[in-house]
Amino acid sequence: MTRALAEAHSERAGAPHAAGAPLARRRRRIDLLPYALVAPFALFVVLLAIVPAAWTIGLSFFHDAALDPPVRFAGFQNFITAFSSSSILQSSGNTVVYMVVGVVLSTIIGTAAALLLQTSFRGRSVVIAVLILPWALPGIVAGLIWVNVFDANTGLLNSVLTSLHVITDYRVWVGDNRLLTVFLIELVQVWQMVPLSALLILAALQNVPDELYEAARLDGCSGWALIRRISVPLARPGIAIAAVQSVVATLNIFDQPYALNGQADAGASLTMQTYFVSFQNLDFGQGYALALVIAVATVIVSFGVLKLVYRQVEY
Amino acid sequence: MALSIPPTPLRGRRARPGVVRSVGVVLLLVWTLLPVLWALDLSLQTGAQAASKPAHYLPPTPQLANYARLLFGDGDIAESVRQSSVNIVIECVAATVVTVVLATLAAYAFARMTFRGRNALFYLALATMAFPAYTTLIPLYRIMTGLGLVNTYTGIVLVYVSGFLPLATWILHSYLSSLPISLEEAGTMDGANRMQVLWHVVLPLALPGVVSTALITFLSAWGQFLFPLVLSTDMSTEPLTVMISSLLGRHTVPVNLLSAAGMLAIAVPAVLALFLNRYIVNGLLAGSVK
Repeated sequence: MTRALAEAHSERAGAPHAAGAPLARRRRRIDLLPYALVAPFALFVVLLAIVPAAWTIGLSFFHDAALDPPVRFAGFQNFITAFSSSSILQSSGNTVVYMVVGVVLSTIIGTAAALLLQTSFRGRSVVIAVLILPWALPGIVAGLIWVNVFDANTGLLNSVLTSLHVITDYRVWVGDNRLLTVFLIELVQVWQMVPLSALLILAALQNVPDELYEAARLDGCSGWALIRRISVPLARPGIAIAAVQSVVATLNIFDQPYALNGQADAGASLTMQTYFVSFQNLDFGQGYALALVIAVATVIVSFGVLKLVYRQVEY
Repeated sequence: MALSIPPTPLRGRRARPGVVRSVGVVLLLVWTLLPVLWALDLSLQTGAQAASKPAHYLPPTPQLANYARLLFGDGDIAESVRQSSVNIVIECVAATVVTVVLATLAAYAFARMTFRGRNALFYLALATMAFPAYTTLIPLYRIMTGLGLVNTYTGIVLVYVSGFLPLATWILHSYLSSLPISLEEAGTMDGANRMQVLWHVVLPLALPGVVSTALITFLSAWGQFLFPLVLSTDMSTEPLTVMISSLLGRHTVPVNLLSAAGMLAIAVPAVLALFLNRYIVNGLLAGSVK
């Protein structure tokens, strides 16, 4: 059909010159409009995405520090220096915890939310509208909002738990115990990721034909068995996409730990270390190396999760 | 093909929610809204009220003094909140307009025209979405430094557009591809050239897709933090998100004032999300189905 349109156009353009020289006609055939339409797009993608990405890959093998010029080839030295730093190693551990906690929780809560919203009820569209709110908020402001919940002096959590006599006195939640810090910070990111996960899984659930549920009900399935045997298996394409989105977000987490825990090591992620080495220590070479490690890890883990969770579904 | 959640569900399945479902939905709403409502609560209290133990779960004497101080008051906090609010609006609107215009032109070419290198360029752009945005952070900073575009709106907008253009084009491409081509052919038969067909036939039909794309681009731009943190070293271009992180870092700003600043920062995205959520949902689903 596209060709029909193109032909209609070239016929109109070519008709008056039908008897002209073959060479001239061939030159006239080159349709410049599509090139003009995609040119700005191509410029942006190539100059400000492809070139910088290639730059990161290439320069990660060079020594490139503002305080120690010139730029010179360094082999794997940037990677070795980076990963012999104890705070970067600790941040790698934090990042793995961020990812595992975040992917597991956002997938489970997202699936639960999608199942809750699967069949219609009064007010469902309002619930969906409210549900996407955390996704729409900037990570740094979501961090600020949750700082008020976790705060050691004025936080909601301390107040509620003391009133309920779960804890005897206000305590520090974020910044003290490292694992708890990472977990609570990740909870904020999960809060922001659940809407997208739920929508993706909900869309997959909406594709499951009603007849399958009816057939299963006739066979005596109900409630939990329907969820376990029909809904979840058939929503796997949606669950897989949701999980991959969470992998990318968690492995690159920056805003939430920066807002909740500042520049302290306890909650620092690898992306935060990239920022510190590049823009505070001005060691760009190490920054490139760390950014490359994160990118490669993101791609590998994404494919792994996709392979693990995704199944082609036919109804 | 874009998936979507049917707006009007089948009548027959509209059942009264069971107990499990009701409890679940209430929990979901509490989890989603409680932190935001708590920040709203704090923003309506005085400094002494916000610092009390146990906390006031409702503002004892609701007052807008914190907002008034930020919006109309003196002092460097109020001034930088106002300046950074202007900055974030300028940057997000500019990035959204440029992204949507360029993405529409490119998506139209990708969806409706054949040209040399079409698939290569299309998949190259998709591939850039596979690697994390921060991979390009340091090179983009150095490019913008080299061009003298640090601390300029242009620098920030260029970086935003480069980041959002592939996804925006992808969403619009899947939207345009789902439109029937017969109307465009009729337009061509009537003697309209292809740009006239785009403007008079395609765009009116694709308007919901354009709105979705614009909303998602705008919200993504509003949420940016690390890129503008690196690309703005003074108050002249700092967006509200960067400003708020510096307030958080000072530890001397009272929580009620901080919460009011946070509420100002979420006002625009919250209104868009609550009232135009159908466009956002459709755009997100169109952009994620691969």
